[in-house]
Amino acid sequence: MNPYLSVSELNQYIAGLLDEDIFLRDFWLKGEISGFKLYQQSGHLYFTLKDADSSISAVMFRSRARRLDFQPENGMEVLVRGSVAVFAPQGRYQLYAEEMEPFGVGGVYLFLEQLKEKLQQKGYFDVEKKKPLPAYARSIGVVTSQDGAALRDILRVLKQRHRGVDVVLVHSAVQGSEAPAQIARGIKLLNLYGQVDLIIVGRGGGSFEDLMPFNSEEVVQAIFESDIPVISAVGHEVDWTLADLAADIRAATPTQAAQLAVADLEQLNREYSQLQQRLIRIMQRRLQQENEVLDRLMMNRAWQKPQQMVQQYQQKCEELRLRLQKEMGNRVNEAHQRLTMAVTGLERLSPLKVMQRGYAVVRNQEGIIYSVENVQPGDCLSISLLDGEMQAQVKQKEKVVRWNL
Amino acid sequence: MEPVKFEQALKRLEELVIQLEDGELELEEALRLFEEGVKLSRYCQQELKAADGKVQKLVQTLEGDLELVDCEELLEG
Repeated sequence: MNPYLSVSELNQYIAGLLDEDIFLRDFWLKGEISGFKLYQQSGHLYFTLKDADSSISAVMFRSRARRLDFQPENGMEVLVRGSVAVFAPQGRYQLYAEEMEPFGVGGVYLFLEQLKEKLQQKGYFDVEKKKPLPAYARSIGVVTSQDGAALRDILRVLKQRHRGVDVVLVHSAVQGSEAPAQIARGIKLLNLYGQVDLIIVGRGGGSFEDLMPFNSEEVVQAIFESDIPVISAVGHEVDWTLADLAADIRAATPTQAAQLAVADLEQLNREYSQLQQRLIRIMQRRLQQENEVLDRLMMNRAWQKPQQMVQQYQQKCEELRLRLQKEMGNRVNEAHQRLTMAVTGLERLSPLKVMQRGYAVVRNQEGIIYSVENVQPGDCLSISLLDGEMQAQVKQKEKVVRWNL
Repeated sequence: MEPVKFEQALKRLEELVIQLEDGELELEEALRLFEEGVKLSRYCQQELKAADGKVQKLVQTLEGDLELVDCEELLEG
C-alpha cells in the first residue's frame, strides 16, 4: 500500500507552507467587494474580493470591523490589508482582513456620502444650529499650517481690511494622517483660550486627497462643537468638504474667509462719520429752531417797552370804565321811562277817574255786584258815587244784552 | 475692547440719531441724548483708530497650559 496522508494532515501541511511565507503575512490587496455579509451575532464580516478574472474569500473579525469608518458595500472598490491563511474545515485559503479603506474616487466618494449621511443625522449640518458671525470681530483665531499660503493670504487680507485685528494662530498639519486630529485640536484649543471672536479653519488648494482631513469626522465634530463661530476655507471655490457643511459660514477661499471675518475699517469709518455728522447736524438744527422760537418771543413789544404795555392796559381800563358808565346811564333812563309809563297807566285805571265820568259802584253785603243775576227784587244795596254813599232797594230787574260781552 | 461693545455702541449711536431726528423730544431730553451720542461717538472713534493688532501663536505646553507666542514675522511672509 502506498503511503498516504489524512485530509487534516494535508491541510495542516499546506497551512504550514503559507504561514512560512513572509509576504503573505502582511500585504495590501485591491479588489471589489461582493457577497458581503455581516453576521449580527458574531459581528464578523464575510465577503469576497474579486477583479475581472479572479476572486478570494475574505473575513474581517469584529474587533477589526468595529474600527471601520465606513460601511462596506457590494461593488465597492477597496484596499484591504491582511494575511492569507488556510481555513482547514473547508480546505480553503482565505484573506484575513485587518484594515480596509475605500479605493479610488468611486470608493472615497461612496465613503464620503455615507459619512455625510451619518453626520447629517447627528445634526452636525443643521442650518438652525449655525451661529451668526460677529459684525465687528476684533480677534481672529486661525487653524491652519503656519507655513502655508493660506495663512499668508488670510493675514494679508485681515490687515488690509482692519489693521487693528489681533490674530491667534494654532499651527496644524493640513494634510496627511496627522491632520484631522491636529485640526480638531486647534479648534478645541481656541475654544479653551476663548478670547477670539471667530475661527477660520482651512488650507489652500490641493488634490482631492490633500483636502481629505477636512472630510474627517473628527474635524467636522470639532467645528460643530465649537462655541465660537467657525468659517471654513478649504481649497478653491470648487472644493466642497464636510467641514464646509459643518462650518457656520463656508468661504470659497482663505482670502474670502478673511474678508468675511472682519469689517472693512474704511467702510466702518465712513458709516461712523456719517452717523456722527448726522448727530451734530440734528442737534445744530434743533438748537437753531429753539433759538428762533426764543427770538420770536423776545421780539414781542412786552419785552421791549413795558411802560407802553402798562399804558395800554390803563387805556383799556379807562375805556371799559366809560363803557360801563354809559351802559349804566342807559339802564337808568330806561327804568325811569318805564316808571312814568306805569304811573300813567295806573292813573287811567283809578276808580275815582271813572266815577268822575258818572259811573257808580253797587254793592251788597257780599261785595261789588257785576250782574243782575246776583240781586233779587227787594234786596237792599248800597251805591257809591264820587262824593258819597246812598242806600237803595231793588224794585224790579231785567237782563239786557249789551254789545257782545 | 470686546466686539460686542463696539457693535452695541454703534447701534446705540444709530438709535440716538433716529430718535433725535424724530424731533418729538423735549429740548432737555434731546440734549441728554446728544451728550450720550457724543460720548459714544468719541468711544467709536477711538476704537476705529486702534493701534495695529498683534499676531500670536497659541500653543499648549507639556503641562497643558495655554501660551501665546508673538510671531509678527508671519506678517512679512
